This record gives sequence, C-alpha cells and structure tokens, in this order.
Amino acid sequence: MLPPLIDALPAADAPTSAVDLRTRALGSAGVAFAGYAQSAGGLDLPVGEQLTDAADLFSDRTTMRAWYRGPADWRVDVVTPTGETGVHADGCGTWTWDWEDAVATWSEPGPLAFPSPSDLLPSALGRRLLSEAAEDELSRLGAERVAGRDALGLRVEPAAEAASVPRVDVWVDRATGLPLRVQVWGDDAAEPAMDTSFLELDLTVPPAEVTAFTVPEGAEVREGQAEQLLQAADRDRRRGPALPSSLAGLDRRVVEGAPRSVGVYGRGVTLLAVGVLPDRAAAGLRAELSRAPGAVVDPLGTRIAAGPLGLMIVDGPDGALLLTGTVTLDALAAAATDLTGRAG
Amino acid sequence: MSTVIGTTGLVKRYGQLRAVDGIDLDVRPGDVYGFLGANGSGKTTTVRMLLGLVLPTEGEVRLLGEPMPKAARRVLPRVGALVEGPAHYGHLSGRANLALVDAAGPGGSRRTRRARIETVLEQVGLAGVGRKPARAYSLGMRQRLGLAAALLRRPELLVLDEPTNGLDPQGIHEIRDLLLQLNREGTTVFLSSHLLAEVEQMCTRIGVLDRGRLVLQDELARLTSPTGATIVETPEPDRVRAALDGRVLSVTAGRAVVRGADPAEVNAALVAAGVPVHGLALERPSLEAVVLAAARTSSDRVDAPGERSRR
Amino acid sequence: MIVVELRKLFRRPRTWVTIGLLNALPVLVAVLLAWTDLAPRPGEGPAFLSAVLTNGTLYPLAALAIVLPLFLPIAVSVVAGEAVAGEAQGGTLRYLLARPAGRTRLLVAKLIAVVAFVVVTVVVVAGVGYVVGRLLFEVQPTGGTALSGTSLTSQELAVRTLLAIGYVTVSMLGVAAFALFFSTLTDSPLGATLGALAVLIASSLLFTLDAASSFAPYLPTRYWLAFVDLFRDPILWRDVVRGVALQAVYVVVLLGAAWANFTTKDVTS
Repeated sequence: MLPPLIDALPAADAPTSAVDLRTRALGSAGVAFAGYAQSAGGLDLPVGEQLTDAADLFSDRTTMRAWYRGPADWRVDVVTPTGETGVHADGCGTWTWDWEDAVATWSEPGPLAFPSPSDLLPSALGRRLLSEAAEDELSRLGAERVAGRDALGLRVEPAAEAASVPRVDVWVDRATGLPLRVQVWGDDAAEPAMDTSFLELDLTVPPAEVTAFTVPEGAEVREGQAEQLLQAADRDRRRGPALPSSLAGLDRRVVEGAPRSVGVYGRGVTLLAVGVLPDRAAAGLRAELSRAPGAVVDPLGTRIAAGPLGLMIVDGPDGALLLTGTVTLDALAAAATDLTGRAG
Repeated sequence: MSTVIGTTGLVKRYGQLRAVDGIDLDVRPGDVYGFLGANGSGKTTTVRMLLGLVLPTEGEVRLLGEPMPKAARRVLPRVGALVEGPAHYGHLSGRANLALVDAAGPGGSRRTRRARIETVLEQVGLAGVGRKPARAYSLGMRQRLGLAAALLRRPELLVLDEPTNGLDPQGIHEIRDLLLQLNREGTTVFLSSHLLAEVEQMCTRIGVLDRGRLVLQDELARLTSPTGATIVETPEPDRVRAALDGRVLSVTAGRAVVRGADPAEVNAALVAAGVPVHGLALERPSLEAVVLAAARTSSDRVDAPGERSRR
Repeated sequence: MIVVELRKLFRRPRTWVTIGLLNALPVLVAVLLAWTDLAPRPGEGPAFLSAVLTNGTLYPLAALAIVLPLFLPIAVSVVAGEAVAGEAQGGTLRYLLARPAGRTRLLVAKLIAVVAFVVVTVVVVAGVGYVVGRLLFEVQPTGGTALSGTSLTSQELAVRTLLAIGYVTVSMLGVAAFALFFSTLTDSPLGATLGALAVLIASSLLFTLDAASSFAPYLPTRYWLAFVDLFRDPILWRDVVRGVALQAVYVVVLLGAAWANFTTKDVTS
C-alpha cells in the first residue's frame, strides 16, 4: 500500500542541464541495483515464427526482474505467469535458463544479435539510446517519480531526416544517473510506441549468488548458436552484395566481426540494418508483409511500418535483402533505390 | 412479570402494504393463547416479529418482560418455537439435528444435552426413531421433531405455528395432551392457528387477527359465555311457540331457542304444557360465530373494487 | 457456533463429494501425462505441468494450478453461496436465529466454516497431488528446481509448497466473500453461487482486455497465479503481497456489506 503513496508524491526537479544529465546517465553503468521492470510495446510486427521471440518483445508486456552488480555480472529474468527465462551474464558470456523446457544455453557475445529482454531494461536501453545522441538533439524535461524515486527527464529528438522516431524520453534517476524509464515515441502522440520502466528499484548491491548460475540437475545444456538468420547471412556472405558506405543519408557503422553482407547504418535512435535473406525465409516473410495492413508493394519491394519500426524486403540483383530499422517508409524506399539502382 | 408476550402498536409495512397494522398483544403467564386469523391476515409476520426474525416498522415487542429483538440473546433461550412448519438438516438423524440446534445458541448445557434430547424425543413420541436421516421422516414425524426442538430447553414460553399440521388424529390428540400437560406444569403456550376447533378445544384466551388488525382479544370462556337463552330439543318445536308465546327467539326443525337463562324453569313450563322435551342446554355462541362476527371477510378473497362496501 | 458450522459442513456427504470431484481432474491429468509422456508446450497449459514429468514432487503445485482457475472457485462458490441462502431455503435459518444463534455470530461462523473448507480442499488437492506425483512420475531425491534454475532442497520445496497452499487459500477468500455476500441477499443458494461465479468470469474476461487495464490491478482474479512467484529464486513477493492485500480488501468490504445486510434483514424464509 505504501509504494503508490510514494509514487504520488511530487517529484523534485534539479537544475541539471541536458548534456550533464546525459553524461551522468552514461556514467551509471557501475551503479549496482536490483529491480522490477515492465516494458510495454505497441508494435505488432508481422513476422514469421523465426522472429517471434524478438517480435514479442516489442508487442507485448514484458515483466522483468533484474539484478545488476556490474557490466559483466548481472541477471535479467523475464517472468511469465507459468514460467521464467533468465539470462545470467558473467563476463565471458551468458547462460540463458528456460524453465519450462529445462534448457540452459551458453552463449558468447557475438558482433550482432537480435534484441533480448535484457536490452529492454530501462537502464540498458536508456544508456544505449543516449550514447550516440548529439548535444543539439538533447533537451530537458521536468521531473517525474519513477519506482518511487525522483527522475529527471531528458528528451532526444533525432535530427536525421530518415528518423521515424520523433523523440525518445529518458527519465534519469536524480541521485545515481541510472535511467529509470524510457519512452520511445512514434507518430501517435498519445501512447508511446514503447515504454519501459522500473516499478521497483533497490540500490543495494545484490549478492553474488543471485546473479551466478549453476546448471540445475536434470537440465539439458546447449551451446548457444547465432540466430538462424544471422547464420544464413554469414553463409551467404560470398554472394552478398557489396554494401554502400551510406544509405538514405545514413552512414554505415563499423561492426567488428560482423559478416560483410550485414550492414548497419545510422546513429543513436535512428538505425537501419540491411542483410541478405535466405530465399526460403524471404518468400514467407514477403507473403506475411504484403498481407499486413498498410503494406506498400511496388517495384522496389514490399515495405511496412509498424509504429516507428520500418521493415522492407527488396529484391536485389543477388537475392532478397531485408531492410529494417527505426526509419520512415520514404527512407526505406530511398535505401532500396540506393541498393538496387532502380527508382521507385 | 404480568405479561409473557406484550406488543404495543406493532406495525410492519412492506411498501404501501401494512401487513401488521398496530396490534397490541397481551399474553399472560399460564395462558394457552389461541392466535386466530385467516391466511394472509398477518399471523406469521407477527409471530416472526415476536421472535426477532422480522424487524417491526413501528411499535415494540416485549417477550418475558424484555424488549425484543434487543434482548434476544437473553430471552430466546427461554422460548421454544415452531414457525411455519419444521425444518431440519435432511442428511442428519433426528438426534443429530437436535444436538446441532441446541449447540447453536446459548442456554443449552452441553452436559445435559444427551439426556434432554432423549427426554423430548420420548415426549413427542420419537424415542425409537434411531439413526434414520431426517429426510426419510414422514410429515408427522418431522412435525414431532420440530416440536421436540422447541421443547429442548424446557422453555417458559412456547410459540407454536400450526403445531398439529400433518399429524393424524391420534397424533393431534397426543400433541394436544402434551401441550396441555406442559401448560399445567407452568409453560405459557402461544398457539397460532387457523383451525377454530383446535383453538376452541385447547385455548384459554384468544386473539383474532383480521387484515393486520387485532379485532378481538379476550378469555375464551367470556367470549362463549351463555347468551341468556336456552335451547330446547323437541320433536314438536311449533308447540314450544304455543306454550311459551313471546319468549321464543327462533324455531328450526327439532329445535327451539327460548329466552331464559334457567333451563329448569323452561323445562317446567314446557312439561306443564305437555310439550315433549328431549334435551335442554344453555345457548352459547360458538367460537366460529364469534370469529366470523369479528373478522368480516376472508382475506384471500379478492373482490372487485367497491364490492366490499356493498356487503 | 463455529463447531456447529464445521460439523454441519463436514458431516455433509456433499462436501466430501465436492472435494472428491475436485481431485478427479488433477488425478486424470496425471494419469494421462504419465501414460503418454506428452507434456504441454511451454507457455501453454497450467503452470508446473511441463515440469512434473522430470520431477513428481512438483505435482501438488501442478494440481493446484489445474484446479485454481475454475474448479476450486466453483467449489468455493457453491459452499459459500450455500452458507446463508441454503439455510434460508431449507427453513433452518429461522430456527437458528430463533435459537438464537445471533446474526453476526452466524455470519462469522459461516465464514470460518467456508475458510476451513477452502483450507481442507486445498490441502487435500495438494496431498493427493503429492501421492499421485510420487507414484506416477520420477522423483528427484534432492528436492526440486526453482523457476529461476536454482536448486531447492526438499525442505525448501516443502516450505514453499506450504506457502503456496496458504496463498491459494487466501486467493479463494475473495470468492468466498462474494458468494457469502450474495448468499445474504437471496434465499436461493444457486443464485448466490452463480452470482459469485459471474463476478469471477467477468473478472477473468476483463483481465485479458487492454481497455480494462486501468482497473485490472483491482480485479479479484488479478493475482491468483502469483503463487507461482513463490517458486522463483529469490521469491518474487510483489504480486503475492498485492494479492493478499487485495483479497483482504475484498473480504473486509464484502463481509461488511454482508453483515450490514444480514443483520437488518427480515428473515421471511
């Protein structure tokens, strides 16, 4: 009964500047905490079964428990009514424990990975989205109470023309700089496209045995594999096109160790990923995309927007390409034109 | 304590309907009080108000000198009741039913419970009933079991609603004897009934309820006291008129009613005139006549508007 | 009075038939599972059910999860809906009150009897589940695995199972309070039972509706499944605590209403 009362108290603001607040937020990676967070996404991605886990993250309400001792020692559990999936990180890699299947999977960090629940934790997501924002993209909001704490608002408004996300609001803990709540806004001004927030936060350092993981008796142990799509991209690297150094006005990023056929463009909140799709996956995905409401099918390819997230399949000269990211449909079309040399 | 049941201005309203309309009951110690009334006259509502089941809209109830329902916890253990037929837990035996009800309230000592149960079962004639569940009982047996529950704590007052319902003639006789015996031992009995004959045979005082009003309340003996006329039974009633001209009130076949409160005097006059006399009796009004005179129409009769005023 | 109500309830064959029927489903599920070895797909079916194939000691929890959404609330609604309305319908209410049992006392005794029924039922379901789980499935001698993948000793597992039994019992109190309240409103036990069930069905339905999210945290069924949280490691108390508090509010408000209604009501049955 007490937490709602604490939440109802007015939040105290502080005269911290936007740039200073960002600096504090980015410097909060050492702040240890235990927390309970929920993220809600309004994105219905019409994607096939291979991507359901990632798609669920953006469309569903995800409930997380997190224990964070440091950047290389943490644990995030996704709590469901009938089970739990826990990710334990220990510096060398992660154990992912799935209770309902009784499977423990060991993965080592790769250059590229699909979003996982731990990326949705406000602290992680907030730092990531703030890290590449330019200073003139930042502005201050007021203060709010999040998880019973005073949080200072920081707004990022991407300058890139391709950006489909008009703004991102990050609420930063006044005392520690820890991002407590992140709201990613789309075109709809009433509801954020994605809202992730701590509901409870405890700043005492969690005990080591909570983040540690021992494979339980009777559990199946698997070696982590890069997701199928990434594998396929890796296999197809030879027949992949030479990706340009900029697409739709976004510069290519250098990702160490990534397959050549996968390109990531953009900065901060505005990102565009391009990759080769295996033919089998392409056919299914194209069919699903074209059925989605609001899908645009033209000689360039098939593209849709799900909230601020754009998705496009382009028939390149060397096979199908998947373009996805937080960019507008026009930016996708421009990128497709850049890639294929065709005009829309 | 001069009154066992006393109500003053008791009213129960259901919306516009006045089910009980200002009644003043007066039941005295040692009475066998017959509470008469047609169906729907408010009898049951009154009985329920006496026991605190229905809360009065206006007026007061005093039971054994204490206000109801305020003092229910003190008073009701001294009252035994049978309201609108008996009710039991069908899956339990008669004994288990009695034990449960006895344990459900104050005033029933646990130590004496078993003995008390045996005594009342004996009294109502169910001593040999065994372990049979109550739902297998006949209507009469259920009635007896209900009565047994009412008697369980040797109450000072018995409030009984149609206690002989469902009993055969022998059963009715037994129960009547039992109630009269208890009354002789000091129990006041409040008997609500629509059976005139039953009330007439048992009661010392009666109250008559008509459409929510107490239209009559008096000693039975006074209500049915001699009218001052004598009934003459004779095969030749017409000759009575000749012999006692001017005193004959009515003549029917085999019967004449003659003014005069002394049958001996009437007899002498008739015999002197040579009229054969088979029998002589003081005329008394029947309870039925008294009740009918007091309560005008049956309350379950539904007349067209204006009909009643013409009667 | 309380003893009387308990005796009435537990000497009634119907009570035990209800408890027996309640156990039939988990036993049937266990037999089918053991026979076919087909666990439900993860995320589908009741909690813990996929885990019992490897560890039979979890079956009491699976059994509770099986009966919790529907069977248990139905049984509780039937018994609590009976409480006052059943006596009214049978005519025994007037004799209890003329005894006098005292209206408040009677209501409290009924509530306690209903709670006793819930406890007995939940314990029997868990007990039967334990026996069935031991007989039909493999048993890990060391205890079990928490949802978070940590190992629990047999003792820890037992303590948490007891907590879960307690929590499920508390979860049912709201249902019982609804049924008891309706039971004082009507003379028809069936009506009271159906009323309580209607509330539960409405609550379960609204819970799945996004449009109702503003009051979803106050729905009586909102935190029912939180007993699963007792098997996370560390235990996730958040929903458990809220569930208990919510049930307490429902119980207090509804019993207050039941009391206010019953003590001023004309008993005409």
